Amino acid sequence: MEVPARDLIYLYCITKSKPHCDELPKTGIKTYSIYAQGIYAIVSKVSSGKFSEENLKKKIIDMSWVERNVRQHESVVEAIMEKTTVVPFKFASVFKTDKNVEKFLKEHNAEFKRTIADLKDAEEWGLKIYCNPGKLKALLEEENEMIRGKAREIVSAGKGKAYFLKKKRDEFIKNMLNEKISEYTQDSFERSKGMSLRAKINKILPKEVTEKKEDMVLNSVFLVNKKRITGFNGVLVNLKAKYFDKGLSFDCSGPWPPYNFCSICSNEGKHE
Amino acid sequence: MNNVMLKSKDVTLLEILDRVLEKGVVISGDVVISVADVDLVYLGLKVLLSSVETMERLRGAPFAGAGEEPT
Repeated sequence: MEVPARDLIYLYCITKSKPHCDELPKTGIKTYSIYAQGIYAIVSKVSSGKFSEENLKKKIIDMSWVERNVRQHESVVEAIMEKTTVVPFKFASVFKTDKNVEKFLKEHNAEFKRTIADLKDAEEWGLKIYCNPGKLKALLEEENEMIRGKAREIVSAGKGKAYFLKKKRDEFIKNMLNEKISEYTQDSFERSKGMSLRAKINKILPKEVTEKKEDMVLNSVFLVNKKRITGFNGVLVNLKAKYFDKGLSFDCSGPWPPYNFCSICSNEGKHE
Repeated sequence: MNNVMLKSKDVTLLEILDRVLEKGVVISGDVVISVADVDLVYLGLKVLLSSVETMERLRGAPFAGAGEEPT
């Protein structure tokens, strides 16, 4: 089917079973599917005015435009995900014509089929851990014998020496704080990974982005078998309780389309 | 405290941007808009991200260089 030149084809995700494309009332977007060799691409028509390179460059600085469109993308993928396994695409994956999408499906057919098989019955869950360093520091100062010893030394030392000892103690506490955070986040990651099919660590995000008072200390994602969600949840509940008084808070979100576990174009998984 | 799980519909824009703009299948070839251009959407955040990475490296990140765990 040829489309008029001014229309572009926006690709949301790929599935193996025929998607329920017309029934996406929540999203308000009219989608349809393009089929080739056993897989479907879920697409919608968008105007080249909106998604042209030139317009995108103008719009990307407008956070409300970005938010609206990114949320729309996500809502379409989530609606499809309710019924079947999806391979989600990155925002603004746009083709010129239906034919080109069809060609794309054929060219990467084996990769997509393998990815869909890999992701069957699995959900992506995200775990972000935040730390209140003040709380953890206070706890260390109270409980750690070495730090308490250093505090006693400072009290009994002369003015000049006390200044030097304080600096040494602060350095010691800072290192211990980092060590403890590493230990706690590693433990949390490993235990969660134990309940997962696959696990990944993403970049730590700064406060300007997270808009949280606490520091992010772990940004991780897990691919979890649907049958093991209860177990996965149980692990998180235990971790949350275990580290609550250490100043850590756990932010878990999901189920997500498996954005973090489907990169067919990178080296990852190419020769598995 | 019995359930730490959240539903994705309640999550912040951050969670969605972290996925929809950063992850997902990346296409190349006969595509009108190259992904490199789309990455500009995230430029503001990227600058912040890289500064934090540097910070993390300096203080010794818990998982320096960790990517996907081998399966």
